[in-house]
Amino acid sequence: MDVISTSGLTKYYGKARGVEDLTMAVPQGAVYGFLGPNGAGKTTTIRCLLGMLKPTAGSSSVLGERVTLDGAALRRRIGYVAGEVRLYEKETGRWHLDYVAGFRGTKGPLTAELLERFDLDPSRRVKELSKGNKQKLALILGMAHDPELLILDEPTSGLDPLNQEAVYSVIEERVAAGRTVFLSSHVLSEVERVCDKVGIIRSGRLVAEEGVKSLLGKRLREVEVTFADPVEASLLGELPGVDSVVAVSDQSLAARVRGDAIDGVLKRIASRKVSDIRIQHASLEDVFLEFYRGDDATHANDEGGEVR
Amino acid sequence: MSWTLLRGTLHQNRVSIFWFSFGLVLYSWMMTWFYPEIGGNEYAELVETMPAEVLAIFGGTEVSFASLGGYFQTEYLGLMWMVIVASALIIYSAKAFAGEIAEGTMEFVLSQPVSRARLAITRIAVMVGYSLALAAASFVPIMVFGPKYDIDLPWDTFWTLFAFGLLFMLAVGGFTLMLSAIFRGAGKPGAIAAGVLVVLWIADLVSNFSEAAELFDPTNIVSYWQPGKIINGDPVDAAAWWLYGGVALVSAVAAVVVFRRRDAA
Repeated sequence: MDVISTSGLTKYYGKARGVEDLTMAVPQGAVYGFLGPNGAGKTTTIRCLLGMLKPTAGSSSVLGERVTLDGAALRRRIGYVAGEVRLYEKETGRWHLDYVAGFRGTKGPLTAELLERFDLDPSRRVKELSKGNKQKLALILGMAHDPELLILDEPTSGLDPLNQEAVYSVIEERVAAGRTVFLSSHVLSEVERVCDKVGIIRSGRLVAEEGVKSLLGKRLREVEVTFADPVEASLLGELPGVDSVVAVSDQSLAARVRGDAIDGVLKRIASRKVSDIRIQHASLEDVFLEFYRGDDATHANDEGGEVR
Repeated sequence: MSWTLLRGTLHQNRVSIFWFSFGLVLYSWMMTWFYPEIGGNEYAELVETMPAEVLAIFGGTEVSFASLGGYFQTEYLGLMWMVIVASALIIYSAKAFAGEIAEGTMEFVLSQPVSRARLAITRIAVMVGYSLALAAASFVPIMVFGPKYDIDLPWDTFWTLFAFGLLFMLAVGGFTLMLSAIFRGAGKPGAIAAGVLVVLWIADLVSNFSEAAELFDPTNIVSYWQPGKIINGDPVDAAAWWLYGGVALVSAVAAVVVFRRRDAA
C-alpha cells in the first residue's frame, strides 16, 4: 500500500511555479527522501499533501484518503514538522505541548521520552529558545503522538550533530515500528543515513526517483592533488569516470570524479609521489546538475528507478 | 467550534483584551464621575460656543448637550469610544487569519486535527467574546457608578445601549475578519477596515453640512451610532439594527466560506 501518492500534482502561485505535474508514490514503512535545492518545490509539495494549499491541478492521497483542504481527520494520523519553525513566541514549550494534546485529545505518548532524548526544557518561552531548541520543540510537537506518517521538512536544520543523530534514531525506531517517513532535505549525508528511496525535484518537477544506493553511486567527488614533480592533466583525464580535469599548476591537478571511479583515480595518483591531496564530496546540488541538467526525457536507471 | 483553539486564542490575546477592557472601565468611570461637575446646562453653554464643525466631529449635532446623552456622546461614546473599540477589534481580527498565515503560526495550527470551518468559527467566537467584554467594560460602569453621580440610567436603556454597541463592534470585527480571510498579512485588512471607517466617519461629518454626503447615510454604520439618543430614551432606528446585524452576519459567514477555500500557508 502506498502511504502517499500524487498524480499530476501542480501548484502555481499566480504565474509563479511551485510544483508541476508531480506523480510519485511512497510505500508504507519507507523513509522517502524528497530532495532538491532551495526553491525546487519541496515545501509546496508538502503543504499540498497536508491540505494547506489548494493544488492548481492534479490530486494526492495520503494514508488512503484523498487530500482536501478540510482534512482534519487525516491530520490526526500525520505528524508534521515545518522547515521554517514558526510557533507562538510568547508561549512556552509546555504550553505548546498542552495545546497540541488538546487538539489530539490525549497527551502524546512519546512526549516525556522525546523531551529527555532531545534534552529540552519546555518551561521556557519560545522567544527565549535558540534556533536549534525551537527545532527540537517542533520535532517533539510533530512526533510525540506517534503518527502513522511523519512528514519532516528539513528536520535537522539548526541542530548540532548529537541532536541530528537523535533525530535519525527516532526516525529509524518509528520506521521499525511500521511508521512511514517522508523527509525533505538538501543534505546528502542525511539522506544517506536514513532514507531508502529518494525523489529528486528540480524547478518544480520530479526529475528522478531512485534508491539511495544508486544515488550514492552517482555521487561526485572533487579531488585536488599536488605532486612532488610536474604532471600532465592526461594522468587523470584518461581514466573512466573522471570529468573536467584542470591543471591548477605544473604539479597540481583538480578533477571531478564520479562514484566508483574514485578507486582507480587513487591508484593512479599513488603511482606518483604525492605532496598533498584533498578530496571532498560535491554538494547534492552539484550531483543534480551533473546528472540531470537538461535531461527532461524519461529513462530507466541502473537500479530500476526512473529518471524523468 | 474547537474549545482547545478557543482557549488558546483567548490566552494569546489575554493582554490586549485585559488592557482594552480595563481602559474602557476607567474611561467610563471617569466620565461618570465628571458628569456632575461639567454636565448639565453650564456644560451646554460652554460647548455651544464651539463652531458647529467642531461639534460635529465629536457627534454633538444630534442630541442636546444639556442632556445626559449629549454629554456622554460628545465626551466619550461618540468618536472616542468608536476609535477605542474599533482599534481593539481590528487588531485582533486582522491577525486572526491573515496575520497568522503571514507569521507562519497558521501552518502549525492547521497541521493539527482541526477543520478550517471549526477554526474560522472559533476565531469568530473569540471576536464575539472580545466584543462582549468591551461592551461590558464600556457600559456596566455607568450603571454601577452612575447612581453616586446623579446618573440613573433605566435598565431598558442600558440593555439597548449594550446590545446596539455590541452589534456595532460585531459589524466592525466581522468586516475585518472577512478581509483577514482574504488577504495575507495583518497590515492590509487592518488598513482597509480602518480606512473604510475613516471614510464613513468623514461622510457622516460632511453630511452635517452637505446634502451630497447624505448618499452614504443608509449604509453608514458610523452615522447610525448615536449613543446619546439611546441614553436620552429615544428608540434606535430599525434600519440601524438591520444594518449592523446584516454586516456582522454576512461578513462572518463570508469569512468562514473564504477561509475554507483559500491557501493557508
